[in-house]
Amino acid sequence: MFKAAKLGLVGILIVVLLAACGSNSSSDGSTNKSTEKITLTIWNNWSGQDAKAVAMRKILEDFQSENPNITLEIEALATDGLKTRLRTAAAADEMPDLFVMWPGAMTKEFVQGDLLQPINEFLDQNAEWKNNFIENALVDFTVEDNIYSVPMNLAPSSLLYYNEDLFKQYNVKVPTTWDELLQAVDTFNANNIIPIALGNKANWVAQSTTFSTIGDRVTGTEWFLKAVDQSGASFTDPEFIEALKLYQELGEAKAYQEGFNSIDENQMLQLYTQGKAAMVINGGWAVAGLVNTASEEILNATNITILPTVDGGKGAAKTTAGVVGTGLGVNKKLSGAKKDAAMKLFYALAGPDGQKATLESSTLISYNLELDPSKANPLFIKLTELMKETKIVPVYDSKLSSAAVEAINNGLQELLLGGDPEDIAKRIQAAQAGAVN
Amino acid sequence: MSKLAFHSPYSMKKTYSIRRIVSTIGWIFITIYGILTIYPLFWLILSSFKSNAQFFSEPFALPNQWMFDNFITAWTTSKMGVAFRNSTLVSIIALLFTLLLSGLTSYVLARFNFKLKGLTMLFFVVGMLIPIHSTLVPLFILMKQLSILNSYWALILPYTAFALPTAIFILTAYLSTIPKEIEEAAYIDGTSLWGVFFRIMLPISLPALSTVSILTFLHSWNDFSFALVFISKSTLKTLPLAVSNFADGFQTDYSLTLAAMTLSVIPTIIVFLLFQEQVMKGMTAGAVKG
Amino acid sequence: MNSATVKRFIAVALAPSLILYSLFVFVPVIWSAYYSLFNWSGIGQAAFIGLQNYKELLSDSIFWHSLGNNVIFVLASVLGQVPLALLLAIILYKSNALQRFLRAAVFMPMVLSTVVIGLIWNYVYHPQIGILNFLLDALNLSALKMEWLSDPDIAIFSLIPPLIWSFVGLYLIIFISALQNIPGELDDAAKIDGAKGFTKLFKITLPMIWGTIQVALILCIAGSLKSFDLVYIMTRGGPAHATELLATYMYNATFSTFRYGYGSTISTAIVIISLLLIGTSQWLTSRRK
Repeated sequence: MFKAAKLGLVGILIVVLLAACGSNSSSDGSTNKSTEKITLTIWNNWSGQDAKAVAMRKILEDFQSENPNITLEIEALATDGLKTRLRTAAAADEMPDLFVMWPGAMTKEFVQGDLLQPINEFLDQNAEWKNNFIENALVDFTVEDNIYSVPMNLAPSSLLYYNEDLFKQYNVKVPTTWDELLQAVDTFNANNIIPIALGNKANWVAQSTTFSTIGDRVTGTEWFLKAVDQSGASFTDPEFIEALKLYQELGEAKAYQEGFNSIDENQMLQLYTQGKAAMVINGGWAVAGLVNTASEEILNATNITILPTVDGGKGAAKTTAGVVGTGLGVNKKLSGAKKDAAMKLFYALAGPDGQKATLESSTLISYNLELDPSKANPLFIKLTELMKETKIVPVYDSKLSSAAVEAINNGLQELLLGGDPEDIAKRIQAAQAGAVN
Repeated sequence: MSKLAFHSPYSMKKTYSIRRIVSTIGWIFITIYGILTIYPLFWLILSSFKSNAQFFSEPFALPNQWMFDNFITAWTTSKMGVAFRNSTLVSIIALLFTLLLSGLTSYVLARFNFKLKGLTMLFFVVGMLIPIHSTLVPLFILMKQLSILNSYWALILPYTAFALPTAIFILTAYLSTIPKEIEEAAYIDGTSLWGVFFRIMLPISLPALSTVSILTFLHSWNDFSFALVFISKSTLKTLPLAVSNFADGFQTDYSLTLAAMTLSVIPTIIVFLLFQEQVMKGMTAGAVKG
Repeated sequence: MNSATVKRFIAVALAPSLILYSLFVFVPVIWSAYYSLFNWSGIGQAAFIGLQNYKELLSDSIFWHSLGNNVIFVLASVLGQVPLALLLAIILYKSNALQRFLRAAVFMPMVLSTVVIGLIWNYVYHPQIGILNFLLDALNLSALKMEWLSDPDIAIFSLIPPLIWSFVGLYLIIFISALQNIPGELDDAAKIDGAKGFTKLFKITLPMIWGTIQVALILCIAGSLKSFDLVYIMTRGGPAHATELLATYMYNATFSTFRYGYGSTISTAIVIISLLLIGTSQWLTSRRK
């Protein structure tokens, strides 16, 4: 009968112990007088076992051992988790010193919330580095002439991966025009091969990997940027509705396998790597996944190209939707020695050496650097060759407001299920107008 | 099953044998249902031995090749040892707090009459209705003000607070089914209220306390949202975060994720089995008092 | 015992729970209700807009659609989980080996992470390699094959079996602990009276645990109104909001579309609706003597 009482006592004891050890665990490193000891917090999404994450972690480790006076507090989270954490910390104004930051909408929001400091000065001190980025690389990190970060990779979001063996077997031409694409879809369907694999459960996939490019092909980039600013163009304009109809046409031709709205990006890629699908439209990031899970046979048969052109469209040729990759946000509150240390780490990760390490981990970069072919997978070499002659046009979700992104992502799911393009266009327009005004 | 088949060798009555057939069929159905509910555990364990490629191509087959390495890689790369220690500490302390606090509260609510009693009960019931994601930002700001972010308290206190409503609810309901005579003798003997609480109320609530323990432990052990947001020191990370580490934005390494999950599910199964026995022991306690 | 001692005991016993709970649950809820009066992205300046968010909510078709889905979930849980759990509890509350095994088995989905549950059920429903469609083919029922999770008309119903299946264990242990509490003498009295089977069930067992059934109903309603994990993992609320729930919609508003104020409005609505539903269920199930 005394067991319960004992349990209660033990509980109280533990509480006391915990209180004792809890009090010293909340020391804060922000009040450093001397240049001696500096603590830097960095939040990132390099938590996985993929080559890029491993390469970035290696840089952090090396930095730690070369700078004994700086203590790094590294916090690696999966991407979704990092985004949620950043939102919450931003709401409470508790940002880390450095963090992985997405270009476009997120950068803008954080600047408006007065959480970041610009790095213009630092870039100008290292002009050679600054000038070596590809054209327009810094645009999505720039708000009102202030630059807040540099991209640490490059993400073309809309590439056509195709299985050459299947194309040869059924005597199909690799599509360069819209009609040829529809032709290919018909032929593969007639032979019980999935023409294009799609996994649109996390509903950004159709938008990011396919529709952004189709939209650009039809409307042209200029129109899109105007519509984003809501100055002189609207998403209810005929050209945008035409783009929606064109995409719906692809769905109606049964280009995608059954149930594409219920499987995820992993499973989508698997349909391709198992040889069940002839094509998959995915970002440059998919190379890593293909190399990891596809058989030798499929991998050797795989080639990469851009989406076909659209007759009468206003878009430029040889383009693909995409965005410069993530950068690092620098906390507004940093100053003095702590800021110097933070910028040193920034340069280690995003500077020439960091860019080189990223490229060597089979990840595209927005920085001019020649790839050493001996250090890369053949598929990645094909990708870099393709990107040399391809220009990036903005992927929709890097430019639109988050409310409009939500509207278009859901709208495309509905479109492929037979929804009315004009209704969907109206909702996208309403969401974007609401966010801009 | 065999026990049932040999239930009554002497019964020759027709009605009885029909009942036996019906009951056997019933048991077969329940057993099939039981297998369907336990299957995911086997699936999880089997899948955690597979390679990524096989996980996708043959999700329901046996592993082609038993990849024990998955466990070692998962354990070391995600620092699961530290995460295990943190999860254990946080979950057990939150559990003890919850049992003590909800036990006291339920004793009062079930046994005493006072003004505002109904309101107090309603106040706690509201706590069961809160979708936790809506509290993330306010809680974060609150804990920043209390300077307990990045300490074990940032998890223990909210876990306890969020477990209280359900615990109080279950315990109060349970206690109010137990006749008051049980503790009245003790009052006459001059036992203090604290004495009655520790020596009588807690022991007779054992079945309900065990239920509460299972739920509370599971809840804190599996929580992802609070652990994600309130803890940003890798040394304080709990298991669900360690498990989520094998995914980047585009791809999930399922063999490592599932291996990590298999490891982290073991303690919860042990806790469940242990406390389930306690739920059952309640029966004998009930029989003694009857 | 004098009443001052009792009063002091009541105060001291309630204080820790009340303080902890108020601080970490109630304050954030009120706080969040307060945010619902603002137009706030979650970062920087917030603009007070009074009840504007609530007005928008009332004319938001996705909100009403999500509420409808939640009602489907509440009905499925109340009519599916509770009776099934009760039935299993009555069958499994003694302790031979098979019963022990089955109890543990039925509870197992509660123990596993929702990620695992979601993965498995996604493979059950998978459009290409799913078990369900495979079984229907094998049974010559190919006509019944469906796009279980991607057809917006049926997706929400496809989520019901996993929902029921994952939470039955919770109510099972609650009912079992209540059944353990039925005094032995009552059981014996019933035997002497010759009350058997269904008579015993309805005359003795059910009335004895009626309070627990009410508890289970409230847990069930509360749980299904705030349910999030399973849907978020299995369908993300899609396709095109077809399986959106109040909680997933709230999460999207807060963390994806950066409308923190509106997200708070939805979560305040969840609390109000839950209270109304629970009040109704209490009123319906209270035993009038």
